[in-house]
Amino acid sequence: MDRFAKYLLTGLICIVAAGQFVQVITRYVLQIPVMGLEETMLYPTLWLYILGAVNASRENTHIRANVLEIFLKTPRQHTVLAVIGEVLSLIIGIWLTTWAWDFTRYSWRVWKESPTLYIPTFWSDVALFVGMVLMMIYTAVHLVGHLRDLASAGQHHG
Amino acid sequence: MVEIALMSVGVLVLLLTLGVPLPYCFGGALMLMYFVGDVTMKGNMLWGFQQLGNPVLLAIPLFVLAGTVMSQSGIAASLLNFVNAFIGHVRGGLGVVAAVSCAIIGAISGSGLTGIAAIGPLLIPEMEKRGYPREYATALVANSSILGLLIPPSVTMIVYGWVTDTSILACFLATAGPGLLVMLNFSLVNLFLARKFPLKLDAKPATADLVSEVGRRGVKAGPALLMPVIVLGGIYGGIMTPTEAAAVSVIYAIPVGFLIYKGLRLSNFLAAGMEAATAIGTIMLMILFSMILSQMFVMESIPQELVEGIFQITDNKVLLLVLINVLLFLVGMVVNDITAIILIAPLLLPLMEAIGVSPVQFAAIMGVNTAMGGVTPPYASILYLGARIGDVKVTKVIRPAMVLIITGYVPVVFLTSFWSDLSLFLPRLFGY
Repeated sequence: MDRFAKYLLTGLICIVAAGQFVQVITRYVLQIPVMGLEETMLYPTLWLYILGAVNASRENTHIRANVLEIFLKTPRQHTVLAVIGEVLSLIIGIWLTTWAWDFTRYSWRVWKESPTLYIPTFWSDVALFVGMVLMMIYTAVHLVGHLRDLASAGQHHG
Repeated sequence: MVEIALMSVGVLVLLLTLGVPLPYCFGGALMLMYFVGDVTMKGNMLWGFQQLGNPVLLAIPLFVLAGTVMSQSGIAASLLNFVNAFIGHVRGGLGVVAAVSCAIIGAISGSGLTGIAAIGPLLIPEMEKRGYPREYATALVANSSILGLLIPPSVTMIVYGWVTDTSILACFLATAGPGLLVMLNFSLVNLFLARKFPLKLDAKPATADLVSEVGRRGVKAGPALLMPVIVLGGIYGGIMTPTEAAAVSVIYAIPVGFLIYKGLRLSNFLAAGMEAATAIGTIMLMILFSMILSQMFVMESIPQELVEGIFQITDNKVLLLVLINVLLFLVGMVVNDITAIILIAPLLLPLMEAIGVSPVQFAAIMGVNTAMGGVTPPYASILYLGARIGDVKVTKVIRPAMVLIITGYVPVVFLTSFWSDLSLFLPRLFGY
C-alpha cells in the first residue's frame, strides 16, 4: 500500500508541476498557449489534494494541536484521549461526508462540462466524496486499533 | 449571531484541545453553526471545493514540493559551507550561519518546516561539536526556520492574498523587511549569547585564502543560490505568476538534485513526492473547511458586527494594534498559520482598514504573528519537529526558544505593527 501511495501521489504531483511548466514554456517562450491545458490540470490537482489528505488519514498524520496530551502522564490516558479524538473525528467526518454526498449528487444532476474540452466536472467533484469515505474508513481503523490497545492494557492489569 | 460565532470558535478550541485533527475541528464548528445557528450548509461544499481549484492555491503544493526535493537533494550542506566560509571563524559565527542559511532556504521553499528539516540534521550536531549546548542549537535552528514563512515566496502570504483579494506579490514583499530584521536580530542575539559558551573556533584565515575559499564554495552552492534568483526574478520581472514560478522551481530542482548534488535518488524522490503530497492534502482539507466556516461568518456579517462591537469599547489605534497582536499571538498558539489567516484575516481586515492600516501592512502583521505561532507551544509544529531532529526533549528546547523569541522576534512583531515603512517600503519600491 505504501509503495502504491508513493507512486500515485508522486505521479500526480509531477503531472501537476509538468502541466504548469509546459504552460510557462508554451505561453512565454514559444508564445503559443495550449488550449484547455489549464482546465485539464484541474482534475489531477483536485485529486492530488484529496488523495494527499486520504494518505494523511492512512498514516494518521493530520495536523493536531495535542494540547491536552502534554498534561497526560500514563499511556492509558493517552490511549483514552486518542479514542475520544477518533470518535469525535468519526461523528464530524460522517456529517461532512453526507454533505459531500449532497454535492456529488448535485454535480451528477447538473453534469457541468469544462469550457474548452467539455470534460465533465463531475470527475473532479466526486473526489471529495470518495476521499471523505476513505478517510472515515481509516479513522474507523485507527479507532479500532486504539480500542484494542485499551483492551489489551486492561487485560494486563486484570 | 456574534454569540453563535463565538460558540463555534469555542467548539473549535475544545476539539483542538482534545487532539481532534484540524480539518474536523473546523467541521465541528460548522456543525454548531448549522444545528444551533441555523446556517445552511447547502451549496457550501460546492463553493468551497470550487475555491480549491483556484490556480493561485496551486503555488502552495509546488513550492512545498520544490522545498522537499531540494532538502532531500543535499543542497543544505553546500549552502552551509558557503555561508560558513564568511563567518565560521568568528565566535558565535555558526549560529549566524543557521539564521542566514534558513533565510536562503526560505527564499527557495516558502515553508517554515523546510529550513529545520534540511539544515537541522547537519547543523545541530556540528554546533554541539563546536561547544554550543544541544538544546540551544536546536532552538536557534528551529526559530530561524520560521524565516521560510517571511522571506518570499511564502505560502502563508499566498493564502492571505487569496482570501483578502490583495496582491500576492505585494504581500510577499511586505514580510521581507520584517524577515530580514528577524534574521539580523537572531544573529546579534546569538553572538551575544555565544560569549558564554565554551566554543572551539576555526583559525582566522588569511584574506587571500578566505577569498579563494568563498569562491570555491560559492561555485558549489551556485545551483542552489540560483533557484531564488529564478523564482523571485521571474515573479518580480513580470515574467511568471507565483504558481508558474513554483512549477519552474520544481522542474529546476529535480535535475539539480539528481545530477548536480546527487543526493536525490528514485527512492527518496518518491518519498519526497509522497511527503509533499500528504502535507498538501492536510493543508488543503483544512483550507476547505476553515474557508467554509470563514465564509459563513462573512455571510452572517460577523466582521461588521465585530468592528462595531470593538469600536464601542475603544477606537484608540495603538491600543487596538496591541490587542490585535495579543489576539494573533494567542490564535497562533492554538492553530497553525494557514488556518489562522483564513479565519482571522477576513474578520479583522475591515477593522484594520477602519483604523488606517492597509491590507498590505496587515499581511505583514499577520505574517509575523502566525509565523511566531509555529514556535510557541502548545501548537508549535516547527519547534516540535526541531526537537525531534535535534533529539532533545521539547521541554528542554522551550526555554532557549523563548529567550530567542522574546529578544529576537517580539520586537519585530511590534515594529511591524507600529512602523508601517518596515513592511510597506519594499512594496512601494516595486510600485504596489
